[in-house]
Amino acid sequence: MTLTATRFDWVRQLVHRESAIVLAPGKEYLVEARLLPLARKMGLSDVDQFVDTVRSRPRPDDTRSIVEALTTNETSWFRDGDPFTALTSTVLPALQAARGPAERLQIWSAACSSGQEPYTIAMLLEDAMPSAASRVSITATDISREMVERTRAGRFSQLEVNRGLPAPMLVRHLQRAGSEWEVAPNLRRMVTARECNLAAPLPRMGPFDVVYLRNVLIYFDLPTKQAILRRVRELMRPDGWLFLGAAETTLGVDDSWSRVVLGRTSAYRPLKGA
Amino acid sequence: MTHPTDTGVRRRASDRPPALADLLGEATVLEITEQAWTALVGEDEVLVPLPAPLPAVTRSSWVEIVGPWTGTVVLTCGADTAVELTGALLREHAPAVLEDEDVDDALGELANVVGGNVKAVLPGPSVLGLPEVGTTPPAGREANTCRVAVLWRGQPLTVSVQSPAV
Amino acid sequence: MTVRALVIDDSRAMRRIVTGTLEGFGYETRQAGNGQEALDVLREGWLPDLCTIDWNMPVMDGLQFVNAVRANPAWRTLTLMMVTSESEHGQIVRALAAGAHEYVIKPFTADAIRDKLALLGLLPQEASL
Repeated sequence: MTLTATRFDWVRQLVHRESAIVLAPGKEYLVEARLLPLARKMGLSDVDQFVDTVRSRPRPDDTRSIVEALTTNETSWFRDGDPFTALTSTVLPALQAARGPAERLQIWSAACSSGQEPYTIAMLLEDAMPSAASRVSITATDISREMVERTRAGRFSQLEVNRGLPAPMLVRHLQRAGSEWEVAPNLRRMVTARECNLAAPLPRMGPFDVVYLRNVLIYFDLPTKQAILRRVRELMRPDGWLFLGAAETTLGVDDSWSRVVLGRTSAYRPLKGA
Repeated sequence: MTHPTDTGVRRRASDRPPALADLLGEATVLEITEQAWTALVGEDEVLVPLPAPLPAVTRSSWVEIVGPWTGTVVLTCGADTAVELTGALLREHAPAVLEDEDVDDALGELANVVGGNVKAVLPGPSVLGLPEVGTTPPAGREANTCRVAVLWRGQPLTVSVQSPAV
Repeated sequence: MTVRALVIDDSRAMRRIVTGTLEGFGYETRQAGNGQEALDVLREGWLPDLCTIDWNMPVMDGLQFVNAVRANPAWRTLTLMMVTSESEHGQIVRALAAGAHEYVIKPFTADAIRDKLALLGLLPQEASL
């Protein structure tokens, strides 16, 4: 059984539009293998039926799970590493110059999935500033309770630590815990995980100096994108920095941001008076 | 093949080796085996934890662990299953004709992968031997064995972590 | 840019899998069944950008190979990546201390290899899924 060409094309276009990742022709087997569990969860027996169901009535939750199943972006540590490089090379020095030594830096990892992003940020800051544990707090949020609990636990399987975590950082910041690996306690103390639905009014948090909101906006329609960006801006410091996914931008969505090019990536900063 | 026996750990005669049951559970062995299958054999290659009798002709591969806990990790399946497993492992990288040596090598490498990860869960430091393959695996002490029986594509397969027979 | 890799593993199945994965990313590859064979390839003058190195092998193991490469200044441009089922914290530390740059734990997926190559700046083409 192989996926029909039209259905495969629909999946390819969806994944490309929402993640900028190209599914090469011939990867039908991969689409089948990754989408079959989603089809079964819906009570369907094959991927063709599943694709037809989602096509006829697209819901953000379903399209999001398709893209996530096919991209694995969010499950690797430093993949698309430029927004992390920019944190230590540009953003952190700017913030350290602008803030007093007693001020706490607040960072938000929105849609943190199983925790790779907030812990990547924690590791980088721990390596870049000696007092990180007492100077930085990282808020990690996700819509899924399961993901929030996984982030809180800070435990990763062997296969997960194999995905883009540099070996020197692995041995410095994680320890074996049975067949899994566990993030060091000092890093876990920097991270607070909580549930949060970005498409609804946000809880009182922040104000944040840096926000990572990557590969989330792509799943929403324009009015929802605009509402999310407005609410995120309300929780940010006026001189804060926002990082979006590689396929995302505020341009044409919300004009109250200015785009700053940082090496091979971009950050967005609230426009004054906007 | 030779097996390193000096782990650098000095033991007193009064030291008793730790009991396997206190170090490792079936759930861990199953998880390690499942990860090896998902990553190497194929991402939709599920292992169903159901015991079933092995066929008359089997093939086994094993690696020795020498350290604070010493024993062997043994993988056993039917001879035909071993051939199918080799094809699945190599996928598009398989040679036109699979030789016996290919099958033994693939089975041995799976034992090495499972064994290396089992070793990492056990107290260390310990040394992992090179894989060996045959029709009869080394005898283990039944009272000190952690065995997982699964079905892969409906065919029985077992993974045993076993202390050496006295 | 042609990127070259020497795949060192005593299992021919594993050599085929690693080689196939790297060739899929545009690599030119050669294989060696242990550390000694790998040194022979290097001495022949075939210098790769990357060596993927199994740990437990007959004749000369992966750690001895890393030490031998690091002892020769002519080979200092080689990027060394362990690919092994040795997965204890202490073993990874030992390999890095000896001069390995990266470490992939078996079992691995092709995605894991691609992520590590990206970290090392050794991913020749914008590799799609």
